[in-house]
Amino acid sequence: MKKFDVIIIGGGHNGLVAACVLSKNGNKVLVIEKNEKLGGLANYSEYLSNISQEVLKELNITVEKNTSDNFVSALSEDLNHTVLQINGSKNVQFLQTSASDSDQKSFINLINKYDLFARTLRSFMFKKPPRVKSGSRSDIWQLFTMGFKVRLLGKKNMRELLRVIGLNIADDLEDNIESDCLKGLISNEAVIGTNLGARSPGSILNLLYNQATNNSFFRINKFNTNSFLKSIEDICKKNNVEIQTNKKVEKINISNQSVNSVLLNTGEQIETSAIISNSDPKTTYLELVGASNLDTDFIRRTNNYRSRGTVAKVNIEFKNDIKIKNLESKYLSGKFVYAPNIKYIEHAFNANKYNKLTSNPCLEFYINKNKISANVYFIPYLKKSSHDKEQILKNIKLILDKFIEENQILSSLIETPNDIESKYNINGGHWSHGDLEIDQLLMMRPFYGSSQYSTPINGLYLCSAGTHPGGGITGINGVNAAKQLLKDKGNG
Amino acid sequence: MDNTLSFTKPLLETPFHKRTFEACYNNDWYRWAGYKIAREYSNTELEYTSMRNTAGVLDITPMHKYDIKGKDAIKFVDKLVTRDVTQIKPNQVMYIIWCNEDGNVIDDGTVFCFNTNHLRIFCAERNLNWFCDTAIGFDAEVNDVSDSIAALAFQGPLSCKILHLLNVKNIEHLKPFFFDSFDLNGSNVTISRTGFSGDLGYEIWCNPQDALNVWDSLFKFNRDYKVLPAGMNALEMVRIEAGFIQPNADFMSAEQALRPNRMRTPFELGMGWLVDLNKNYFTGKKSLINLKNKSLTKKLVGLDIQGDKPAIGSVLYDKNKKEIGIVTAGMWSPSLKSNIAFGYVDKDHMKIGSKVFAEIYHPEELEYKKIWAECLVVKKQFFNPPRRHKVPADI
Repeated sequence: MKKFDVIIIGGGHNGLVAACVLSKNGNKVLVIEKNEKLGGLANYSEYLSNISQEVLKELNITVEKNTSDNFVSALSEDLNHTVLQINGSKNVQFLQTSASDSDQKSFINLINKYDLFARTLRSFMFKKPPRVKSGSRSDIWQLFTMGFKVRLLGKKNMRELLRVIGLNIADDLEDNIESDCLKGLISNEAVIGTNLGARSPGSILNLLYNQATNNSFFRINKFNTNSFLKSIEDICKKNNVEIQTNKKVEKINISNQSVNSVLLNTGEQIETSAIISNSDPKTTYLELVGASNLDTDFIRRTNNYRSRGTVAKVNIEFKNDIKIKNLESKYLSGKFVYAPNIKYIEHAFNANKYNKLTSNPCLEFYINKNKISANVYFIPYLKKSSHDKEQILKNIKLILDKFIEENQILSSLIETPNDIESKYNINGGHWSHGDLEIDQLLMMRPFYGSSQYSTPINGLYLCSAGTHPGGGITGINGVNAAKQLLKDKGNG
Repeated sequence: MDNTLSFTKPLLETPFHKRTFEACYNNDWYRWAGYKIAREYSNTELEYTSMRNTAGVLDITPMHKYDIKGKDAIKFVDKLVTRDVTQIKPNQVMYIIWCNEDGNVIDDGTVFCFNTNHLRIFCAERNLNWFCDTAIGFDAEVNDVSDSIAALAFQGPLSCKILHLLNVKNIEHLKPFFFDSFDLNGSNVTISRTGFSGDLGYEIWCNPQDALNVWDSLFKFNRDYKVLPAGMNALEMVRIEAGFIQPNADFMSAEQALRPNRMRTPFELGMGWLVDLNKNYFTGKKSLINLKNKSLTKKLVGLDIQGDKPAIGSVLYDKNKKEIGIVTAGMWSPSLKSNIAFGYVDKDHMKIGSKVFAEIYHPEELEYKKIWAECLVVKKQFFNPPRRHKVPADI
């Protein structure tokens, strides 16, 4: 039987990053991936909005950057589209809009306000989250700096942060902006990928949180995904990390509350003393570890962890090159958002609440000549049934027909949360392996008893998006989990 | 039995209600899990005396009963409780406690093994939620069957004799903590040699339709043996003598306590003998291993108190009048002719033979008499006659 120092379950980007860090420190690492292709959910987007600087520094890699202009177009049914150019996190310019001058000004002010708050959050985004009652000095120091950073905002801004952090995005928008189109544009950023509507409390927190992880308001394209994946795969190869694809881990064998070996679907059994799971927390605990090795309270929390996906990935190929009505063709390289107003988003969200398919979903898409690659929400994850994909396509077509000049669909590929679940083995098919809401953040992510990348099982660690700081493809989860493992090993 | 709740009838009636209602002269009812149960039929001391000298009949229908069925039934119970139940045999009963992840006791109860795929847990508090969450990942289905089984406790030195006179075959050979099916005056019943009195006694489980027949049978020989229905007050007396503790009276159930320092571990309750740290993983094992190596800061002990005034609700002090604990249950024991109680004491006084003091406020004709009584720390089990364990039982 083979033996490895560390086995990493899942070759997503976080798993690979963790493998890089561990192998660099002289560990014999094995990565086991269910699919042929490495990278997991990162494969869904051509570009990434933010790979954390800490990861780039730790691995000493450079990633190819996207050089095209960053346009964001909010589509409007009266064909008076709004087009923004984004340069950096704060510098937003209106290129075309029907919104009034004062509205534009308040829009910029609002974005600046959110940017200021997001920067505060960002300061503790990429660190290991502190535990409240651990008594460890580093945890206390971190809690202190977190509080201090918030206090540094000054009296007025700190009050404003504390006022809005639990609020819903619709209230804050309605206080400041009049244009429906702009409200929809910001709401889109606050609710996409979550189980929140524009009027759900916590949507502002989600917005700030995303902004902090991505370091930009509109999740603009900065890094080339393939270049990133290739460079971490290269490091793995260089450091002799063994990667086995097309194999699935069926079970983590545990003896005496410590990991012992993994059992593969091929029947192989591989011994190890440490495992990092890049699988989501629910799958890791309920399927791989098994309930019989965990306390009932813990199983309860695992079961209650909210990880219902709401976004479907849709790729459509048209016959001719796509043109948007009443929009200059130079803007086609940018991102398009169709979330016309708050009420529309709320209605789409309402259907999701009751596991129904909305006929008016929100869209966020990119155009590449004759192809569209879109994120469609809210498409709820269904536990016992599956969606009618024809119907989803029909609904999208009806929306696109309003904006796209006469064209014909050649082929389409729709991946609902259910498909994402089975393809990548993510319970619920959620983008970030679980909702980013106040009770599932920081030291509470994924839940009490499993924070700081460790688990109740000795030698088992988590590095998936289900850990702090969540999704967004930053790679930091992998680095932090690997560091935690190294630290525990050193002490042991 | 009409078991629908209404505004005018807010409490459920057990299948024995027709009889208990007739017998309950005092019309003094106690609310137990939504049911009406007699607190006192006519005289608590008399009811107590019948349980200690002949036999008493208690309606325990409101007990919660959970059926566990499936391939993993035993594995599920083994994960739930602190004792090793993997070796449980059909027809065997085990006394069990279960803890949460911090090793704090949630509740105690008994588990009956019908066969390896079918067990039943009896307990005083509601636990369905906890059991269902524990069953996640096991091939075991948990069902609340509380309403479909009527139950009587038949406790006392003559209980076996009366069952024998009722032609319950081989009842005297039923060992303590075992059960079987029997024919009782034409009704098919399950009888277990278990109980809450610390004496020879049985618990009888039957169909609600057979309830009245079973009840009437037990009183059939009352011309010679004065069997009495006993209420909750009498039960409280016998259970203190027997050393049995009760959730939410002697300790707070970990699922219900709001203040974290009010929860109690099995070691603090003197139930360490029920904790097997060498068995397979169970909820709380990790914490209990840690706790085992730590010294206790408080412990529930038995107290033998000077004088005859019950120390109910008393505060306990050391000889320097420093507060060290509280009494959770106390009584004057007519059988033992002594003043007994359960109480929490601190780490310096938990050894058997230690001396503590109780401040007893005894009401005497509208005035409190303040008594400073010396107490001896003793074992919690005050009453444990040999006949309780004897096989065959006395007929």
